[in-house]
Amino acid sequence: MSRPLLSVEDLSVLIRRPGRDVAALSGVSLHVDAGEVVGLVGESGGGKSMVARAIVALLPSGSQTSGAVRFEGADVLAMDEAALANHRGHGAALCFQNPRGALSPTRTVGRQLTDRLTTHQKLGKEAARETARQLFEAVGIRNPARRLDAYPHELSGGMAQRVMISLASGCAPGLLIADEPTTGLDVTLTREILRQFRHAADTDGRGVLLISHDLASIAPICDRVVVLYAGTVVESGPAAKVLREPAHPYTRALLASVPDVSGRPARAIGGAMPLLSAPPAACPFAPRCAHATSRCASERPELAGDGWEYACFHPQSGPVAAVETPAARARAADEGRVVLEIEDAHVVYGSRFGSGGHHALRGVSLQVRAGETVGVVGESGCGKSTLARLMLGLTAPTSGTVRLAGTDLYALRGKKLRRLRTRARLVFQDPIGSLSPRRTVADAIGEPLRALGVPAAERERRVAAVLERMNLDPAMLRRRPHELSGGQAQRVGIARALVGNPDLIVFDEPTSALDVTVQAQILDVIGELAGDASRGSVFISHDLATVRGFCDRVVVLYLGRIVEQGPVEEVFGDPRHPYTRALLSSAPSLGGGFTGPRVELAKDLDEADAATGCPLAARCPFVTDECRAEPQPLIRYGASEAACWRVPQLPGLLHERTQNSA
Amino acid sequence: MANERAWTAGSHDGGEGVSRNGTADLRATGGVPAPAKSRRPGGGRFARALIVTGSVILAVVAFAALAAPLLSNWGSEEIDANATLAGPGGAHLLGTDTNGMDIWSRLLYAARLDLGVAVSAVALAVVVGTALGLIAGYLGGWVDDVLMRIVDIFQAFPTFILALAVAALLGNGTVNLVITIAAVNAPAYARLVRAEVRSIRGLPFVDASITSGASTLGVLWRHVLPNSLTPVRVIAPLNCGWAMLTLAGLSFLGLGVTVPGAEWGAMISLGSPDVVAGRWWTSVPPGLALLICVLGFSLLGEGLQERADARRHS
Repeated sequence: MSRPLLSVEDLSVLIRRPGRDVAALSGVSLHVDAGEVVGLVGESGGGKSMVARAIVALLPSGSQTSGAVRFEGADVLAMDEAALANHRGHGAALCFQNPRGALSPTRTVGRQLTDRLTTHQKLGKEAARETARQLFEAVGIRNPARRLDAYPHELSGGMAQRVMISLASGCAPGLLIADEPTTGLDVTLTREILRQFRHAADTDGRGVLLISHDLASIAPICDRVVVLYAGTVVESGPAAKVLREPAHPYTRALLASVPDVSGRPARAIGGAMPLLSAPPAACPFAPRCAHATSRCASERPELAGDGWEYACFHPQSGPVAAVETPAARARAADEGRVVLEIEDAHVVYGSRFGSGGHHALRGVSLQVRAGETVGVVGESGCGKSTLARLMLGLTAPTSGTVRLAGTDLYALRGKKLRRLRTRARLVFQDPIGSLSPRRTVADAIGEPLRALGVPAAERERRVAAVLERMNLDPAMLRRRPHELSGGQAQRVGIARALVGNPDLIVFDEPTSALDVTVQAQILDVIGELAGDASRGSVFISHDLATVRGFCDRVVVLYLGRIVEQGPVEEVFGDPRHPYTRALLSSAPSLGGGFTGPRVELAKDLDEADAATGCPLAARCPFVTDECRAEPQPLIRYGASEAACWRVPQLPGLLHERTQNSA
Repeated sequence: MANERAWTAGSHDGGEGVSRNGTADLRATGGVPAPAKSRRPGGGRFARALIVTGSVILAVVAFAALAAPLLSNWGSEEIDANATLAGPGGAHLLGTDTNGMDIWSRLLYAARLDLGVAVSAVALAVVVGTALGLIAGYLGGWVDDVLMRIVDIFQAFPTFILALAVAALLGNGTVNLVITIAAVNAPAYARLVRAEVRSIRGLPFVDASITSGASTLGVLWRHVLPNSLTPVRVIAPLNCGWAMLTLAGLSFLGLGVTVPGAEWGAMISLGSPDVVAGRWWTSVPPGLALLICVLGFSLLGEGLQERADARRHS
């Protein structure tokens, strides 16, 4: 084997803070070879980002390090400023998690890229611009010459991330480090962006260190995977081994907590990762581990093995046990009263200056009955969040009606409106941001009751009751949002939604801001609530796997229109619309995933044009002239409805395609 | 006066506090772990030292103002006909002015007026400005347009010229002075609070509160207001110092408190011809008193600013 490009040797980082030290990393060793993609995974707080920072010597002030970070043989931690400047950018380049924030808002992206090329590569202005254009083209930016003159705010999230990758690879570094490069992106974009990293490794022989908490997404592109827990490597080895049949109980638990589109539900692990103030003397996972013995609590297992290493006294074997899919709940959903009825709603966000505006919803009709959970899925920008706001009375429809509990939500004013609003509650994507920073938890949960005029004593009692139901400590009541963890804050958010016994709860991507294991815990909580016959639920997500877990019906949105809706098993098992099939095809999966014939869409959502005809026409592989000309109404096919006239022909077309490609 | 101009100039782009914090935010969200933080080492301790020093100065002045009858033998407007323009020492600690009034006692009694007017004017400005800013920022649309254009008109004038005009319009009297100084300062708070409110209005917790059935006033009072006051808390003490200078300036020009009323600016004005003649004690002591007070407010404000910055960065 060739000498590794990067090798981290027994790296420990201790951050000294007044009051409390944090052992961010304790004896971490890993290596990345040229042409190799290595995944670094684990929960947040596990030390993933600290490894990335150590590689480019950007550790927080007051940190004490031991061990070495060798890049092409030289110890990065011992470099002087001049050598470091060369190392960052030329040697190892970092792609940040939030590309929009990492791009300077007042300069064009082209300028930001050519600046690097002229200073580091000593290129002339013209040459730099030409190189920049080629770099943009290489990361799949369409119309690169025009995009060079764009400002960061003019780019979509996926486009900004591509720019970020081109910035990082601009100076031809040996190693690319990507810190959660796809967080907040859609499934289709995630796949596309991750492919860019694989491409960088395969064609340019770069080493890639891919940091992520999203195991399912990175699984297909990584050669090797390193699992971090509480600042220690617990398992590392070939991706196929570690992600299919991991030996360490933590890796197994991590995998089990990811729901899968095939219908396997998430299984939560209890407890939380410890924040260590000194390197651990025992196995750091022991308190949460089902296989722990007294030895685990007193002795720290060494990382051992050849090629596939793990630090555990009781390694497990075999694939992660598939949890039985719970039998489909018997439902009498059709008999439940209608709690929400949306009829042909259009929402146009007007622009303040003159004409134009953004058509967010284009004629959506939807019914939600008590006792039923409706999933709403689609890529970002498809109108999911607008739909949520519409249901809650936050955004008025431009035309169409919204009836909540039988009353037109947008015909009321004043006190009646405020009372009606408490019948529908929202659980937010950003759990901490949805709590007022200066108000206590008790205040936040009690607010709907206050609006209903419930007296203080009664309010206190009900808040305590709902808090207990969410498994939260009563001491939590006096805390403020910044003192809560993400998971706790989301429990508070759900408690606030529950406290007034609403008719409808809308969950707007409730887990996408949370860690995988916390996600599983929150999904457990939501799953329990979903069965309640007294209210309806709407679950909005771009993550198909979570929707499949506990929804009865699924609605697929595309550019403000419903393109398919039907019972969950039908939509996931036998998707009618090409768009649904494409979504399922690109859904990341650790298990079997979607098994039917796959469909891939052309172009990104933000470049599609939906003026006339089928909104998917520009991206659909089965497009005909009729699709482009005629708007597509929802047509019933079996138990589902889909807005595509070619559905009966699709099985044949799909068969043909698989034949051709085979 | 230079101070006041800085305050108006700064407030045109949303106030000093906002623009400073704005750049801090950019840095924080830049994703780039800033290698050299601009924060002073031990920023927290430095901030505390500023706050304590400023507070002690102001507490001493306030005590002197309240205990004026105990600390001096003369009334503020009592005339010692036997001793006009007497030098310091003897029966009159700091001497007397051209009317034979005791400088030391007038100095102490003037502190009551100066502190009182400055603090209540700023308090009034904060209340009125915050209310306008809340309404404009939260409701947006034409309400915002109308209110902000009015604010623009106020801010189009140099602060002191505006104060002169308003004072001339309202006439003399303590209450009128408070109103004058509040009127010239309120627009800056309106703009400051409006900018905060506009960014807070889009945050999820506001939507959460609306969907909880809270009334618009309830949302404003319980959620938007408490979260939008941070820059106001920092600016208000600094503003007190400037308000005091405005008051003294107006009095100096004869539009504020007039002799025999005890006010530092009026005292400086009355004594200014004597300084040329070498009788420094008529004008220098009120000038120093003014300086010390403004310094106290500035230190306090700077300390609060420093502490707010330190919190943002940690």
